[in-house]
Amino acid sequence: MKIIIAGAGEVGTHLAKLLSNENQDITVIDDNRDRLAALDASYNLLTIDGSPTSFHNLRLAGVARCDLFIAVTPQEHTNIVACGMAKSLGAPCTVARIAHYAFMDPANKATMERLGVDRLIYPEYLAAREIATSLEHSWARNWFEIHDGQILLVGVMIRANAPVAGMQLKDMAANQAIHVSAIRRGRDTIIPRGNDYVLEGDILYITTTRERLDDMLRLCGKVKRNVRRVLVMGGSKIAIRLVDLVGDKFRFTIIDNNRDACLRLPEKCPDARIIHGDARDPEILEEAGINECDAFVALSPSSESNILTSLSAKEYGIAKSIAEVEDMQFIAQAEGLGIGTVINKKLLASSTIFQLLLDTDSSTSKCLALSDAEVAELEVKPGAKITKAAVKDLKIDRSITLAALIRNGEGMLVGGNTVFMPGDKVLVFCLQGSLHKVDRLFN
Amino acid sequence: MKRRLNYPMLRRMIGGLLVLEGLFMIVPILVALYHGESTLVGFITAAGAAIVIGLCLARPQVQSTHMGKAEGFLLTTLVWIVFSLFGLLPFMIGPHGVGLSSAFFEAMSSFTTTGATTVPADSPLLCYSIRIWQAMMQWIGGMGIILFTLAIVPMLNSSGGMQMFNAEVTGITKDKLMPRISHTAMALWVVYIVLSAVMALMLWIGPMTLFDSICIAFGTLSTGGFSSLPADSEVFNSTYVLSVIAFFMLCGGLNFANIYRTAIGKWQVVKKDEVARTYIGAIAVFTALFAFTRLFAGNVHCLRDFFLLPLFQVISIITSTGYLAPGFAILTPFILLLTFCMMFSGGCAGSTSGGAKIDRFIYLCKYLKNEVRLCLHPNEIFSVRVSGNVVQRRLVSKVIAFMCLYGICILAGGLMLAAMGLPAVDSLFSSFACLSNTGLGASVTGYGDDYLTIPEGAKWVLSGLMLIGRLEIFTVLVLLSPNFWRR
Repeated sequence: MKIIIAGAGEVGTHLAKLLSNENQDITVIDDNRDRLAALDASYNLLTIDGSPTSFHNLRLAGVARCDLFIAVTPQEHTNIVACGMAKSLGAPCTVARIAHYAFMDPANKATMERLGVDRLIYPEYLAAREIATSLEHSWARNWFEIHDGQILLVGVMIRANAPVAGMQLKDMAANQAIHVSAIRRGRDTIIPRGNDYVLEGDILYITTTRERLDDMLRLCGKVKRNVRRVLVMGGSKIAIRLVDLVGDKFRFTIIDNNRDACLRLPEKCPDARIIHGDARDPEILEEAGINECDAFVALSPSSESNILTSLSAKEYGIAKSIAEVEDMQFIAQAEGLGIGTVINKKLLASSTIFQLLLDTDSSTSKCLALSDAEVAELEVKPGAKITKAAVKDLKIDRSITLAALIRNGEGMLVGGNTVFMPGDKVLVFCLQGSLHKVDRLFN
Repeated sequence: MKRRLNYPMLRRMIGGLLVLEGLFMIVPILVALYHGESTLVGFITAAGAAIVIGLCLARPQVQSTHMGKAEGFLLTTLVWIVFSLFGLLPFMIGPHGVGLSSAFFEAMSSFTTTGATTVPADSPLLCYSIRIWQAMMQWIGGMGIILFTLAIVPMLNSSGGMQMFNAEVTGITKDKLMPRISHTAMALWVVYIVLSAVMALMLWIGPMTLFDSICIAFGTLSTGGFSSLPADSEVFNSTYVLSVIAFFMLCGGLNFANIYRTAIGKWQVVKKDEVARTYIGAIAVFTALFAFTRLFAGNVHCLRDFFLLPLFQVISIITSTGYLAPGFAILTPFILLLTFCMMFSGGCAGSTSGGAKIDRFIYLCKYLKNEVRLCLHPNEIFSVRVSGNVVQRRLVSKVIAFMCLYGICILAGGLMLAAMGLPAVDSLFSSFACLSNTGLGASVTGYGDDYLTIPEGAKWVLSGLMLIGRLEIFTVLVLLSPNFWRR
């Protein structure tokens, strides 16, 4: 697929690297030469030096012949204008990153389409949605519902008290309740086989169905705990979106150290308690009622503060801590330190765009990106290689695992003896960069 | 975090490439079989060794396929050396075989498209199979071993392949035609193959055997300069043949990416290309100088002598091909110095030619002009502008560094050769001719006959210079820096 990315900022760069490793034809347009030079020298892509809102550059990039145009510069207006220009020059599908909710409002959808913007990416909204999900399932690191919740994909951290710790995967497979699809151990992501062990400190990505959720909780040594009161540090855009999304389900308290911002917040978040002060101060935390709170969400502009404050909040007996970490290099560290969920707007934005991309590609219907691994939901076509034998006889590459399938609208897990039938939807895990191997199985 | 070079991956890649080289040798094997030549054993041994060793090296799986910049440099250099090491076997094995240093010199000279030879033209070693092998080595080396591999091996279509592309392709900034490196490589190879085929066809239509026309087409497009026929052969006296060769040498010195753009009708990029214009202009000026020098020396008897021969010779030198036009062996000091200048400049970046490349001269000249003007107007801002785009300061300083290194390499090579007993001018000339991949014989200065009389040690020095020149200095020199290995 031919994809043009306007803007080589953090989202653009991340996306370009990701897609280039997936063997897509990538062209990046940006007016910052230094950033382009770094990309151009070490990645398999084409770069164009210049403004993304110039007709000349867009033509040079071959907008008329591209499959997807993505504008992810830091300025939303540039993005919208670039998308409009690209659309008028013949781009079939355009995606713009925006920074205000108004653009996403369904009431304005027609206007946006007239402007030539097909899809919108609003990183703050994505982050708020992600936080809301992890508040609802506080014991899980990640929670994805696939195919209307027929299949659940859950990331769990294994502690010493978990019955599975130290078990070999083939022993676990005996009860068929869960399918361990990927393991994140330190910095590595492993697609496990039967003879791999589960160790303490691993994050397991488990595929399961709703009926077997309780079995899974027991195996992983987790207890469901309902979150009610949430303390939020920083009244950022994400916080406002979060309160707007799930203000009725949780009781929010927002602490912000900017008095003016605090004075404006009640207008946007009428249901939340607003406290002015520095959340790094224990007295302020106690005043805000951290002892009664179930979850702590750190959304200040500083990644370091977010990580450290989340850690000190844990000492007050918080059930769930969530920290926004915008510096990519801190993410692994933060996860290692025991922060429940780490939120990164750029990663969320790029994985959402990645999903969009796979949506336009008819063979794949849904995809999530988990650090180094990808999850795709693919439909089995008649005559595909995958229908030829049972899973254990298919000789599937080590970087791929088939986790679950949906047949006639019902989800089930994949075992060694499963035989796929045309029309099944299969949930596939693969390591980054090996999605094309999956395609070979299905086409 | 300490990072080690990914040796398993390097081993695997080199193995795979060796198999490829073994497969290439099938062509000379077939030729040797057809003509019943004694070199058959040598080729079969070499092909067998390359394929077996290649398979052994490539077989074991590797854990990480990561290739960084360091691996790219190391692999590119190693591949060129390993290819020469196996490519030399046919020269050594057999009744007329030559020694190791001569064979290595021969193979390196072919791969780097230098075209210098230590084997006398009438030697029985130069049978059909050896000549087609020489032509093939030049042809592959001309565009680049790595570039060829990039076009056909999908495994390299990653950032690792990118590093190797950067390490091998000539020029200051690497010209990518398409987002994916393999497509770029494929496009360049298509241009190369089409041009070679057209040229072979044109020579064949003229009075030439199919074998010779293929060999000469390979040697010309790659600007290598080995020809399957002796330079004083009757065929070379034909005006038609000389014109065809001159035209395709000219093409070999042009940027292949721009030839491709022209072919697909992307004129707006090519039109602005200042480099090609300078290249053509330089050829015109040098041809005029050559022609009039010869006219005044009284060597001219007809219009062909006046115009075509100097043109042929100028293109041959500036593109680093190194063919000698008939009757050009006697050089006046002025022509010799002009030859020096042309060997230095070379063709356009992104072509198959050698030398320091015209692009760099344009950058350098414009920069020097600015420096002079800066003495008068210290506050005025001057920028180096080429083809309508302002060149970054960093690139200009890289070009200056390249030029200095180029000079140092010539000098160092010359010193080593002089230490082995060569006369001063010859040491410098041969060192220069090899670094610029021109391969003009040292005989121009009257010492010995071509490279035949050069001592054994000097052959290794010259082979090294050819490799350094072909990979444009930095790729090889970076390996000599202790920083590369200390990690």
